[in-house]
Amino acid sequence: MKKKFTKTLIAGSVALLLGGAGEQAQAVNWLKMQGTQPPGSSGRARVWGFIQPEYQSTDDTKLKAGPWKGQKAVFNQSRPDLKTNSGFNILRARVGVRGTAMPLDSNVDYFFLAEFGNNGITRQGGGSVKLTDASITLNHIKGMRVRIGQFKTPGSEEGLKAIHVFDYINFTNGANQLLLERFFDGDGSTSKTSAADINKPNGPVGAFRDVGIQLFDWFYTGNWEHTYALMVGNGNGITRGDNDNNRELYLYWASELLFSGSGVSAGQSVVSSADHHGPRGARYQAWKLYGWYQDSKRTLTRENPGEYDRTRYGVGTTYRKGKLRAEAEYIVAKGMIFNGTDGGAVPGARNNAGTAYADYNVTTDGKADAWYVDFGYLVTPQVELDARYDTLNRNTQSSTAERRFTTLTLGAQYFFNKKSRFIINYEMRDAEAPGLPSSAVPNQILDSIDNRLSGQLLLIF
Amino acid sequence: MKMAYRWLAILLALGLSLGATPATAAGDFAEQKIVLQISDPNPFKQTLVLNVANNILKYYGPDRVALEIVAFGPGLRLLFKENSNKGRIKSLVDNGVRFSACKNTIRGMTKKLGHPPALNPYAKKVPAGVVRIVELMDKGYKLIKP
Repeated sequence: MKKKFTKTLIAGSVALLLGGAGEQAQAVNWLKMQGTQPPGSSGRARVWGFIQPEYQSTDDTKLKAGPWKGQKAVFNQSRPDLKTNSGFNILRARVGVRGTAMPLDSNVDYFFLAEFGNNGITRQGGGSVKLTDASITLNHIKGMRVRIGQFKTPGSEEGLKAIHVFDYINFTNGANQLLLERFFDGDGSTSKTSAADINKPNGPVGAFRDVGIQLFDWFYTGNWEHTYALMVGNGNGITRGDNDNNRELYLYWASELLFSGSGVSAGQSVVSSADHHGPRGARYQAWKLYGWYQDSKRTLTRENPGEYDRTRYGVGTTYRKGKLRAEAEYIVAKGMIFNGTDGGAVPGARNNAGTAYADYNVTTDGKADAWYVDFGYLVTPQVELDARYDTLNRNTQSSTAERRFTTLTLGAQYFFNKKSRFIINYEMRDAEAPGLPSSAVPNQILDSIDNRLSGQLLLIF
Repeated sequence: MKMAYRWLAILLALGLSLGATPATAAGDFAEQKIVLQISDPNPFKQTLVLNVANNILKYYGPDRVALEIVAFGPGLRLLFKENSNKGRIKSLVDNGVRFSACKNTIRGMTKKLGHPPALNPYAKKVPAGVVRIVELMDKGYKLIKP
């Protein structure tokens, strides 16, 4: 796949790049959009949802070195089952209801969403259909709204952004490995002699969500919209209670300059959250600066049991004006760094010597950082071209343990209409152990990583 | 004395006519007189009625059309103080559009809420929304319910 394309898929996709009307994700106040309803103009219950079938493919290059040499490489297999290098999947299929409990009272909103698709939410930790969001927002206090339940945590733009308006099919390396949390009972440091005993996720992926309580609101100074959020959550993922006495703290601040046509008049100076959704909805041109911070501890119960710090923070910016959009973010991670699988093998695979099974690993005291830049250009109202470069430096605390992942993603979106689109991405992926010679086994293993071609259809209803 | 009573009657009639609710801010010189009704619970109808009002103003011009939006029943939510459309309402008011809120509906909502709903300051309360519409139609207004 590094040299080849799936010609049929590409040709078919190019043929679709003609025509339509599109809706794009713009600079948006996600806390407002996800946590509240337009006051006075919201219904009691609005059913909505989206479906995302997709196709992903790699060349299925086998591991070039290590104890699992010649076997499937985990990074070349399709999510979430990791059993094949290509295939179709109903990645997400969500149905939800949102509204105002009593239309006459705009002070109480709710949001409910469930996942029926095949992904890390539904496939890990048992069960199938999973609740992704269930929250109530109280808007009674001026300057401080209160949201309680399970919902997206205030943080990285990639995580906070509504997934059905995400401009790409796959997350950046940083979001995928540092922020999209997998929860484990151990750190994978001991060899397993049974596939059933491997260190594997003990529940669904965190899905950038938590169960807790959030205080938030927004206010205006001139053409700037400022948003703050403070949240306390379990820090133990979704659809379950906490597993220890450590709460997760989330802090968030965003300042967004709304451009002309955004529905905010120049010189407006309102210290109030009264201007709720306004006429902008989710489509307006703006420039946003934001910063976020998350801090907690995680508890392991096997393989070095104990409590370990987990801290994440980042700064970023988004921009949209006219046909151009751009985003960038820098993320720092300390503690509980996801460290892939043994030898790059599929978890549960037995090594060639027959002595151990591949584990998931976590570096409890590890450090990492990641950043990305992302550009999109609306060639026609129906077609957007996208390019994103992202880098993850994992386990920077040790020159021999450090791993660097870089991906250049080229993409295109074709908007059939405001509610449906097709996305195609080609990811040129590279990985290396920068502190080791190129002939070292880790570098040979990482050299097995393929480029990836993905296509995804989205329908919002 | 008869002359005095005559002048008094004239002055009284003048006074009553001045105190009556004017049908239009521009008086009876508007080329078109339109009343829009909103009584629907569907939030989409709020956007629709404001869009229709805007389109009418665009076509005729604010100084050539007398336009009033009467809200009653669930449609009164459009005139709630915190309604997300309040910016657009202000813009329409600046162009001469009047907004009327039905007192009957306000009374009913007060019972449900336990307190009167806070209304947009530009909303003028009328005894009954449907009666207001009938009165306007008697004065030559055309009724449109988007």
